[in-house]
Amino acid sequence: MDEQLLLVEDDASIREVATLGLEQAGFAVTSAGDGREGLIQFRQGHFDLVVLDVMLPSLDGFEILREIRKDSQAPVVMLTARSDLHDVVVGLELGADDYVTKPFELPELVARIKAVLRRSTAEPEGGVIAAGGLEIDPAAFTVRRGDEEIALTATEFRLLLELARHPKQVFTRELLLELVWNYDYLGDSRLVDAAVQRLRGKIEEDPKEPKLIRTVRGVGYRFG
Amino acid sequence: MLRRRLTVAFALAVGVSAVALAAGSYFVVRHNLLKDSVTSSAKQSRQNLQVAPRYLPDQPANLLDVYNGIGGFETVLVAGGQQYSGVGGVGLRQVPPELRKLVRDGKLAYQRTTVAGTHYLVVGGPSDDEAQLYFFYSEQGLWHELDVLRNILLGGGALLVLLAALAGAVIAREALRPVARASEAAHSLAEGLLETRLPVEGRDEFGAWAQAFNEMAGALEAKIAALSAAQARERRFTADVAHELRTPLTGLVGEASLLSEHLEQMPPESRRPAELLIADVGRLRKLVEDLMEISRLQAGAESVNAEPVDLASLTAAILRARGWSERVSLDGEETTVTTDPRRLERIVANLVGNAVEHGGDDGVAVRVGRDGSGAFVEVADHGPGIPPEHLPHLFERFYKADPSRTGRGSGLGLAIAHENALLLGGEIDVRSEPGEGSTFTLRL
Repeated sequence: MDEQLLLVEDDASIREVATLGLEQAGFAVTSAGDGREGLIQFRQGHFDLVVLDVMLPSLDGFEILREIRKDSQAPVVMLTARSDLHDVVVGLELGADDYVTKPFELPELVARIKAVLRRSTAEPEGGVIAAGGLEIDPAAFTVRRGDEEIALTATEFRLLLELARHPKQVFTRELLLELVWNYDYLGDSRLVDAAVQRLRGKIEEDPKEPKLIRTVRGVGYRFG
Repeated sequence: MLRRRLTVAFALAVGVSAVALAAGSYFVVRHNLLKDSVTSSAKQSRQNLQVAPRYLPDQPANLLDVYNGIGGFETVLVAGGQQYSGVGGVGLRQVPPELRKLVRDGKLAYQRTTVAGTHYLVVGGPSDDEAQLYFFYSEQGLWHELDVLRNILLGGGALLVLLAALAGAVIAREALRPVARASEAAHSLAEGLLETRLPVEGRDEFGAWAQAFNEMAGALEAKIAALSAAQARERRFTADVAHELRTPLTGLVGEASLLSEHLEQMPPESRRPAELLIADVGRLRKLVEDLMEISRLQAGAESVNAEPVDLASLTAAILRARGWSERVSLDGEETTVTTDPRRLERIVANLVGNAVEHGGDDGVAVRVGRDGSGAFVEVADHGPGIPPEHLPHLFERFYKADPSRTGRGSGLGLAIAHENALLLGGEIDVRSEPGEGSTFTLRL
């Protein structure tokens, strides 16, 4: 079955051409032209991934993302204006999995979407990892602390998995961009930093004094 | 220094006047005193001479006694080949020879002389009996008075000159205070404190000057404010235009990329236009993105995300990613700097891209390393080079060394590279030899 995408974009021309391109790439696309409609569509359907423009009438992309993240870990790719670098940071901090800047080529968008989907669908190898009081089950895509299940996005889950598989090993941001986001060349290191922040917020007892995911200043991160 | 010159001039003017005045009064007083002395001495001498015949030639001693009784002078008497003198110790030897000659010739005459440090006025005259009489009038008191007067005048003059110098210094400082203030104000204007003004005091020339200065400063401030507002508007406009273009451009880029996947199915008459359309959309995209970037850079809206970067491996990755590895040689070992890799990528990709496009067929050589002035990335080509008159303008927006040549770039590449280099705290040098090639060096 084709993966179901929700595209929220207010410009009719961009919406149509992106829909065409994504359909030709093999996705089933539902589109919405403003924020409120987009959120209604999201709640009515089941989507494997949401492509979300930031600048939208009635309800902007950040508000939709905030609403989505209240009860869903569905992958989200943001469409941002390149000049609004601030938007990128805000979007990532709210839990977007990746972003594409306008103007973008369709193959670029498709590649980003596929990379994000791969994180949530391709089954990770290896057995259950127990580390730092967490129980990480790659097969079931779940993380537990005792009886409590912690809801992570696919990106957060992969990031945790890569780090936890090699405790004490220092990962540079570039390596994590390659392993988790599938960037092989100059990815945006803010993707890593924002995902680490969100992950800490979910798994650390005190996110300000992280004990599981530690920062190695000037280099990157390590688990434990 | 103007203040010192004014002080000296003032003191000099007062000094010269004082000296002239003092010298004038001194000589007038001296002249009169000396004349009075001669007049009274001559009168006394005539009376003395009228008395003389009663005692001469027989009783010269008695005559001297008579003279002694009158007092106020001393006498030397020459009569009958003999000389007689009074009690004061003066004698014929002390009478100047010129005077003696005049008196021997029968004239009444006077001359001044000094005997043992005492000033005398000597008046001589003949008596009827072939006798000559010389009367010595002491002028010691007169000369002493003149000395006192001279000293008073000299001291007073010196004091006056000193006072004049002091007054001159004070007056010069006061007079020049507005000048000092104006020069301070001009300095702070030059340093960019455009709100600097001078206090306007009084209606004199300095007041008018301060007012004119303030008007100039006001006009300058208004002009600069207008200019920077215009510049901000212009930049804002560029940014807005680029921003507004982005939405339709996103549509165009998407449509072009869809079209490019279906070129094969197109009939030949629409296929070529579609290819051109796709290429032009690419050019437009590059231009708009560059415009957005340069306007952000020039507005100072960009931030730096610095991390440790190895210049050599980053450059290698750039060459690989752009498909330049075969035409571009890379030389240099690991050189780690703390900088923003994405901005560095923009700079290096631009420099290498230019070299590949304009640098001829002999290939491009990139060197990475560290020298005395820091880390560098050097991009050298063997192209036609750049004429020297174009070098200073290379980093300006839309500057083209050859206007007839429309390159594939936006005309903003070097300007963006330059701004990015500045943002990273570096700079780009260019050396070029027409016919030999060009070398661009990024220094960090």
